[in-house]
Amino acid sequence: MKGLILGVWRWVDERTQISRVVRATLTEYMVPANLNFWYTMGSLLIACFVIQIVTGILLLIYYVPETSKAFESVKFITSAVPFGWLIRRLHAMTANLFVLVLFLHMLSTLYMGSYKKPREIQWMTGVILFGLVLTEALSGYLLPWSQLSYWATTVATNAIGSIPKIGDMLVVWVRGTPKVSQFTLGRFFAMHVSLIPFTILMFIAIHLLFMRLTGISAPPGTDKSKVAKVPFFPHMVSEDLTSLFIFLAALTLLVFFFPQFAFPPDALEPANPLQTPAHIKPEWYFLANYQALKLVPNEFLGILLQLVVGVILFFLPFLDRSPERRPLKRPVFTTLVTLGLLAYIALAVWGHYS
Amino acid sequence: MTTRRGFLQRLVGVFAGLTGLSFLGPVVAYLAPKKEKGGRKILLDPNGSPVKADILNKEPSVVGFGINGEPTIVIKYEGELRAFSAVCTHLGCLVKWKPAKAEFFCPCHAGRFDANGVNIAGPPPEPLPRYRVYVTGDNLLGLEEGKA
Repeated sequence: MKGLILGVWRWVDERTQISRVVRATLTEYMVPANLNFWYTMGSLLIACFVIQIVTGILLLIYYVPETSKAFESVKFITSAVPFGWLIRRLHAMTANLFVLVLFLHMLSTLYMGSYKKPREIQWMTGVILFGLVLTEALSGYLLPWSQLSYWATTVATNAIGSIPKIGDMLVVWVRGTPKVSQFTLGRFFAMHVSLIPFTILMFIAIHLLFMRLTGISAPPGTDKSKVAKVPFFPHMVSEDLTSLFIFLAALTLLVFFFPQFAFPPDALEPANPLQTPAHIKPEWYFLANYQALKLVPNEFLGILLQLVVGVILFFLPFLDRSPERRPLKRPVFTTLVTLGLLAYIALAVWGHYS
Repeated sequence: MTTRRGFLQRLVGVFAGLTGLSFLGPVVAYLAPKKEKGGRKILLDPNGSPVKADILNKEPSVVGFGINGEPTIVIKYEGELRAFSAVCTHLGCLVKWKPAKAEFFCPCHAGRFDANGVNIAGPPPEPLPRYRVYVTGDNLLGLEEGKA
């Protein structure tokens, strides 16, 4: 029997070259031996994406994308389908952690200067992925058709209307009708379950391809050519697994003990297009943007400022060309990033309590 | 002079472009926004039933769907009926009427409007659009475009 299985395996391997691919990507793929915890964020993000795809497919089995049925179908998943509550909580909570890990991944890249030559394309695809993940989160927000869904989408889509001349037309194109309606739900549903996930997958592939072409960067201050190398498997894979299990422990803790983090009271009420809830607030990762919009007197200026930050981030490798990567040897840049981070946290806290 | 290979490459490019364009038109038409049914001149509740005017004898304000499905707020202020679009001119949340302060308040970004719909505080850039409102013969709230 064993001989038969081995024979089949050799037949398949000879034609598909699976073992050669496995060797090239795992056991013979050498990485710097001094990679630290921050280098495992990419694997965590892939794990988040996989969890979202699997739980998303399961939710799709019972979800109905129709305004009069969407909320009831989500309620049915949560209360009547065995373990439906678990699948939904996992999906909602992982969405939050996905954004958090993405923030950490980008911050570590900024501080360690890993966006610099020759990794410019990796950084730029990373910024695009960041935008795509936020859009994915926002489009998923509408689907339960709760009060929170409806009004968060109303505010977010209305923000586009501040663009001079074409803003109002763009809002109607995004929504499909002048107000958030069934047509908006249809569009957001199509984006959330197919267009954006496939686009994310494509950009992940490009991101990883360039990571393989340029190689993983060594931590700043170390000369990659002189650092000892170890095989990706088992060394880096075991580091990745350590982070993954810490992540899964945190996810489990949130799912079982702090579900209200992903489901505030307005998320438990069906959408009412004639009543804006008293304390409507966006998700934590949009709180800073929300507060900034409140503070800047001109709405277009508020959105333009946020766009400018995004554009600067996207073109960062071309603005900061110095080869120096050590944070303490780049005091101006490190100070700017730290101040930006503190301002972001302060705005988010302010937005939460305002 | 164009070579035969160059000519064929251009030809393939032109046909590929035309094929793409022929798909573009139907896709744009498919995604084009749908117009909301207009022409309703009375205030309707979320179920599509007309709102009775005498509700304003019990409540200080009432919100419903008005002209072209626009969320509309009708208030009774100093004995006079006033109707405004309930949609905040900042980011589209619905305003609430605060009779004690004689103000409209937007819960999303704390925008405030006076009893004439004029933006007086917070981020809203424009006043609330105002409608003419009257009580119809069958005790409904009739609406017309333009100021009262």
